[in-house]
Amino acid sequence: MIAFREVVVRYRGSAQLALDSVSLDAVRARITAVVGPNGSGKSTLVRALVGSIPLVSGSIAVDGESMDGSTRRQRATRIAIVTQREEPAFPLTVLEYVSLGRYPHLGVWRSPTKVDRDAVARAFELTETQPFERRAITELSGGEWQRVRLARAVAQGGDAIVLDEPTTFLDVGHEMAIFELLSRLAAEGQAVLLVSHQLNLVARFASNMILLKGGRVEAAGEPAAVMQGNILERVYDWPLVVTRDPAVGAPTLVPLRVRPRSARVE
Amino acid sequence: MRFSRWTLLWLALGIAIIAGVMIGTMRLSLADLVHGVIGVGEPMPIAVVRTLRLPRVLLAALVGAGLGAAGAALQGATRNRLAEPYLLGISGGAAVGAVLATALHTPIALVPVAGFVGALVAVALTLLVARASGGRGDARVVLMAGVVVGAFANSVIMVALANADASAVRGALWWMMGSVAEASWTQVRVLAIFVAIGIGALIAFGRAIDVLALGDDTAAGLGIDVARVTLGVYVVGALLAAGTVSAAGLVGFVGLLVPHLVRLAGARTHRAIIGAAALAGASLVVCADLIARVAMPPAELPLGAVTALIGVPFFLALLRRLA
Amino acid sequence: MFFIRRKERLSSRLHRANRIRLVAVCSLVIASACAREAAPKQSAITDDFGDTLVIGASPKRIVTLIPTTTEILYAIGAGPRVVGRTMYDVSPKEVLAVQDVGNGMRPNVEAILSTHPDLVVLYASTENRDAAHRLRASGVATAAYRTDHISDMARVTRVFGRLIGDTAAAERTVDSALATVDRVRKQTATLPHPKVFWPLWESPLLSVGGGSFLDELLVIAGAQNIFSELPQPSPQVTFEELLHRDPDLILTGEVTRARLLLDPRWRTLRAVQADRILVVDSTIMKGPSARIGASAVLLARLLHPGVKF
Repeated sequence: MIAFREVVVRYRGSAQLALDSVSLDAVRARITAVVGPNGSGKSTLVRALVGSIPLVSGSIAVDGESMDGSTRRQRATRIAIVTQREEPAFPLTVLEYVSLGRYPHLGVWRSPTKVDRDAVARAFELTETQPFERRAITELSGGEWQRVRLARAVAQGGDAIVLDEPTTFLDVGHEMAIFELLSRLAAEGQAVLLVSHQLNLVARFASNMILLKGGRVEAAGEPAAVMQGNILERVYDWPLVVTRDPAVGAPTLVPLRVRPRSARVE
Repeated sequence: MRFSRWTLLWLALGIAIIAGVMIGTMRLSLADLVHGVIGVGEPMPIAVVRTLRLPRVLLAALVGAGLGAAGAALQGATRNRLAEPYLLGISGGAAVGAVLATALHTPIALVPVAGFVGALVAVALTLLVARASGGRGDARVVLMAGVVVGAFANSVIMVALANADASAVRGALWWMMGSVAEASWTQVRVLAIFVAIGIGALIAFGRAIDVLALGDDTAAGLGIDVARVTLGVYVVGALLAAGTVSAAGLVGFVGLLVPHLVRLAGARTHRAIIGAAALAGASLVVCADLIARVAMPPAELPLGAVTALIGVPFFLALLRRLA
Repeated sequence: MFFIRRKERLSSRLHRANRIRLVAVCSLVIASACAREAAPKQSAITDDFGDTLVIGASPKRIVTLIPTTTEILYAIGAGPRVVGRTMYDVSPKEVLAVQDVGNGMRPNVEAILSTHPDLVVLYASTENRDAAHRLRASGVATAAYRTDHISDMARVTRVFGRLIGDTAAAERTVDSALATVDRVRKQTATLPHPKVFWPLWESPLLSVGGGSFLDELLVIAGAQNIFSELPQPSPQVTFEELLHRDPDLILTGEVTRARLLLDPRWRTLRAVQADRILVVDSTIMKGPSARIGASAVLLARLLHPGVKF
């Protein structure tokens, strides 16, 4: 649904390329994850998708149509983005906030219709956030806020949701809840594109993983193919092993400890 | 906001206007007011109502509405609750225009025009400086550019006043402290059109400002052209503020304080905030003008001084609430 | 100062022949006998700052920083001694040839000193204290005067007369001015006094107040300033108060009059509706100078047309 083809991005004033010929596909009903160390270009990828940063070369297509051909609002009706951080400056209610997700459809002039109200209701239902409806977004806990943000993204009514590090500040329980939610959304037919640090969780939930380093794609494919000890060690520049988790059977990354002033590994 | 609160706002404005027309050096009764408006009875009350009180009270209301709405919109667009309508170097630029016109002894009618032109020049300069610094869409860069332009304007004012004669200095200072004492129906008409269009445009922007207030990246993800919308809000807000400045000089604190009060009262979406801020701002400035007229007879206090005096304790209370 | 210098010269020649000493003393006596000046060699005056200053010989190079004192100096014949004036001095016409030293308030001390004055006259307000101080420290006699009232004019003229050694000219000037003023005052005493409003500035609205010599002029010329009870020279007043006090006449300049006649706010005043706006020549508004008598006559004629003054 979202296709990157040989995308090259460079930040103004920087000699290095932030993204170097990156190609990836995020298809419907699947969770696609982009992983990699800090500075590998993960967030840049999201920005390029939003249109915040111009492409030097390459193309990004949504459902076959190139991004250049559509307006921002049209794109926003097809793809919903949940950024890394969102600090609400004004205390809207959860209902008002989620309803803002319909903005790409309504613009400034049109009044909400039944279609819009239904989309909002569906969003609440899928993310199980109905109990929060009347609360102010400034009073939510971290986990609740993330779910509400997801609800807003679902309310946009597109076929793809892109999330940039959605579980960074969440505890394990809330983190799992979010991943389960993403799984459910994928089951509903959404193309979920996820940027995350959480290799182990990603390996359990994603069906497609793209490993970036220094703006280049180092490995791509099924989690089992990407979660290889030698590849990950090279990319993360840290000794580690990849095992199979006995409890759930998913590939699991285990970083190793290093004795000081010794290159030898325990 | 619930229906009843809107009624309250309109009611407050109505009462403020009536009080403003009735109270002054000469106390008028309600009957006098009515007679004055419809034009029957003694010539003196009619003259006072029609030529002196009504224009100035209405002008005060329009100034307050413009400043309240502009302040609310700018606070939303910059995601900064300390933003205010004179942000983009407007107060400095308008003051330069008016002070130069006063110091050069141009015809009195030209002073408001000079103020308006000065404000526009300052806004253009601010946006140019911001763009040259690489961040016209970045609120902080624009705010800083406004500070720079304002500082430059202040130095120009100081130079102009240093070489002016005493009466010109007094006149310039009086203008900078704000007043609706010389309100005329022409001014009211012109400002009314200005303010109506300006507030209308800002309310129309309302939903976009709500999205913008979520953050630049999120807003971009929702389909907003962040740079364009922000610029649009700046320009409309600046024009509104410049219009009020040219009519009444510098009236501070209104644009800063009223949006806070309105949000405290429960306005959440920016359509509501901007509309309510316009009404509340209008009431506030009408009351401030009333105080300015009756506090220290036979002289008149400058309007800007009264709004500041009212504003400061309110603001302190607000700070305590936030802390 | 002149004296001190001569003494030093004498003492340095103490060792020389007595003959030279005698010649020197004789020259001094002859010089003083030849002097037309009847003035004392040293004048001690107290100015309006309360400072006493001693002025040696009669000042030959005067810098005057108040338009009023400029006019007074020219009136008593001290015009040729004036070597510095303010940028606002435009009368009498001869003063335009004199060097302009800038602003009279917070004056430019260096510009003043560049004219090598031996006397500087400036306005006695707190903002000028610093300049007066610095001028004195530079060795220049400085006198500060308030020239707000007609009584000030008489006082200052007499002081100047003493300084230049022509008290007769000073007395003539004062007497002639005051005589005219008294004459006008007596004549108008029996006439009806119209209520007058005299705006000095429109934005803010400033009126002639009780503290201004213009108020004195109005009384002399037979009118009643509606804001006379306010003590300041140019108090701020509100339009409504003005409307309330309902003046019979308004005094202002030609351009302003034309504008007031068209302004809807001003047209609420009875005086504007009936076009009872009298045009006043702004030069009489400068300050109480030697021409105060002529100003009184001018104003009286304006206020009471048909009466001979």
